[in-house]
Amino acid sequence: MGVTCVSQMPVAEGKSVQQTVELLTRKLEILGAEKQGTFCVDCETYHTAASTLGSQGQAGKLMYVMHNSEYPLSCFALFENGPCLIADTNFDVLMVKLKGFFQSAKASKIETRGTRYQYCDFLVKVGTVTMGPSARGISVEVEYGPCVVASDCWSLLLEFLQSFLGSHTPGAPAVFGNRHDVVYGPADTMVQYMELFNKIRKQQQVPVAGIR
Amino acid sequence: MSGVRAVRISIESACEKQVQEVGLDGTETYLQPLSMSQNLARLAQRIDFSQGSGSEEEEAAGAEGDAQDWAGAGSSADQDDEEGLVKFQPSLWPWDSVRNNLRSALTEMCVLYDVLSIVRDKKFMTLDPVSQDALPPKQNPQTLQLISKKKSLAGAAQILLKGAERLTKSVTENQENKLQRDFNSELLRLRQHWKLRKVGDKILGDLSYRSAGSLFPHHGTFEVIKNTDIDLDKKIPEDYCPLDVQIPSDLEGSAYIKVSIQKQAPDIGDLGTVNLFKRPLPKSKPGSPHWQTKLEAAQNVLLCKEIFAQLSREAVQIKSQIPHIVVKNQIISQPFPSLQLSISLCHSSNDKKSQKSATEKPSPEDHLYVLEHNLHLLIREFHKQTLSSIMMPHPASAPFGHKRMRLSGPQAFDKNEINSLQSSEGLLEKIIKQAKHIFLRSRTAATIDSLASRIEDPQIQAHWSNINDVYESSVKVLITSQGYEQICKSIQLQLNIGVEQIRVVHRDGRVITLSHQEQELQDFLLSQFVMDLKVAVRLWFSFPVTSVKIFQKVMFYKIANGVIFVDHSKKCSGIKWKVETLFIKWSCLCLHLALASYDFFQNSFQIFSRNFDLKCLQINYKHKEAITSKGVLFLKNN
Repeated sequence: MGVTCVSQMPVAEGKSVQQTVELLTRKLEILGAEKQGTFCVDCETYHTAASTLGSQGQAGKLMYVMHNSEYPLSCFALFENGPCLIADTNFDVLMVKLKGFFQSAKASKIETRGTRYQYCDFLVKVGTVTMGPSARGISVEVEYGPCVVASDCWSLLLEFLQSFLGSHTPGAPAVFGNRHDVVYGPADTMVQYMELFNKIRKQQQVPVAGIR
Repeated sequence: MSGVRAVRISIESACEKQVQEVGLDGTETYLQPLSMSQNLARLAQRIDFSQGSGSEEEEAAGAEGDAQDWAGAGSSADQDDEEGLVKFQPSLWPWDSVRNNLRSALTEMCVLYDVLSIVRDKKFMTLDPVSQDALPPKQNPQTLQLISKKKSLAGAAQILLKGAERLTKSVTENQENKLQRDFNSELLRLRQHWKLRKVGDKILGDLSYRSAGSLFPHHGTFEVIKNTDIDLDKKIPEDYCPLDVQIPSDLEGSAYIKVSIQKQAPDIGDLGTVNLFKRPLPKSKPGSPHWQTKLEAAQNVLLCKEIFAQLSREAVQIKSQIPHIVVKNQIISQPFPSLQLSISLCHSSNDKKSQKSATEKPSPEDHLYVLEHNLHLLIREFHKQTLSSIMMPHPASAPFGHKRMRLSGPQAFDKNEINSLQSSEGLLEKIIKQAKHIFLRSRTAATIDSLASRIEDPQIQAHWSNINDVYESSVKVLITSQGYEQICKSIQLQLNIGVEQIRVVHRDGRVITLSHQEQELQDFLLSQFVMDLKVAVRLWFSFPVTSVKIFQKVMFYKIANGVIFVDHSKKCSGIKWKVETLFIKWSCLCLHLALASYDFFQNSFQIFSRNFDLKCLQINYKHKEAITSKGVLFLKNN
């Protein structure tokens, strides 16, 4: 598990999502990365049930249950600003049992699928974010394997990102934040993904013409 | 009588009367002797009533004294009177003291009588013993303790002895009963070693490894039967056992797994031949009964069958580049191109027929006992894994499987880590890897040994490491020249022999990977030899010339290790001389190298010239001396 940066690649002008993805992957291949299969990250949203809300009528919290193909035997459950739980895949079955307390928000499943590239110590995943049948955006994840402390290798990551994202290089992710010298873990990656998905959900839909 | 005047003899009686007074005219007045009563009175006065009757000595003395008194009453009357006067009160009657004493005695007697009569009634007086102080202990307190301890120990010893007696009795009984063992005690002994259960009226046992974690579907049950074919009339034989076991028919006899490596590829037609030769039965412990050996042999057969079944299953299922062949009781695979590994299950029953046919003696190199042992170990490891506690989940609701696999979810293991957890190698693959390694290691050793015996100069030394892995061994090879060991330290190689490759680490840090080909290793070692030679030779030739002799046509140099003859036609001096000497040196160097190489490559020296970059290509060889194109003859001291 190394330090990971998840960012969004805006769709190029006049091009569809797929074409942009293809552009990116070609750039990567020219760089010398080798394809290593596919990846998938998905997310489901749950509301805390109304029956469990207190008399104060506070808003129900949203819980996100996510899976990452990089950690095939794990399941992540997180609240917005709260803790992240890493569990077994039996957790999904547990959520079915907890129907009374957590209700699934309708049409909320969002996922990103794409190809996985390995370039020496870097692992690059370029994926299409889809919600239902429609593609909503592009996610780019870069992981630098050898390092586990974010503050040590952020500059290296940034340089690498610049080399193939060009002007669309993101800033330092919020999870790096103030916590220097804290070991980076998979939970932080999932938090980044959750933020990305929320951002994409709020964006307006990509024009229909672009889906083709 | 006549004429002699008669003499008057006066006779006086002995007891003279005591003289009271002698008158003035000499007449004596005699006392009248005491009369009987007076005498008695006198004597009575002398009775001492205070003397007890218990003092015999005093009594004797007294009696003696009385006797004397009786005897010498007359002569000692005065004395007695004096004595008597002491007790005698002058004015009193002589019997007074007697009377008084008697009276007091009577009084006392009366008192005693009264007291006794009162005491007899027990109304007003009783007799009670006077409480006396306890006798002071005559012994020391320590001796008392000692004695008490002795007593208690004696009591304990008694109990123990009783118990020991009982035990010896029972042991002797047992000894006696051994000869006439009964079924139940034998059954008890059987039960201590094997699991038995009663089904109906049959007693069945289990000799499979299922309780130890095996998943082999053989039932492995044996039956315990009573041995009733004993003839009570005849004498009971010494090895008679009232209990017999009946093992399943397919587990009879003995079996073992034979792993062997053969170099030549066999014909396909030979595959059907099955190597069945009877290995001598493992010696059973001297005290163990016959059913124990029988059951152990059957269990061994079962284990061998399981191993072979597992191996053949994997041989069929696992896809490899060269497919494994499974024929009857043999599995044949080819780890290396020219090598064949065969694993066979040799199961010989106890029939007499097979004993006759087993004449073949196994060659010791053929059967790799180490691999057989490893197979047993591996299958036992597999059993243990099925049963191990790391497989049992905590908490009980967690999924089954390896403990780390269960943790991989909550700890978000990625694919690499998960793969490292799962051991995907089967039994067959492991054994093939081990066999490859063993073969490679023995061949490397053989190569090094052959080189060492073939080449005298330089010398090769191999130091094999004692601590090896099943898949990796290492050896340190040193190549030195005689006399130059300290200087030519640069050729030190560390060979790490793996499963398929040999990795060579040079002293200067270079790492070279050699494949399993024998020739590669040989060539490489030879190149190292020559490197060493070059160094040695350079040093050799830096030794100064000891003497030079110039003849008409020949110059003669004597150096430390030999003699050089140079054919020269003219004298030269200065730079030409230096050039000349340099050239001589150089050609001698080449010569030496060539000579040494000649030892290696008896047949083809074109190879060495290509490999070793020698400058003098035109060399004619004749025995050990050689002539260069310029006419230098070099004789090496042997």
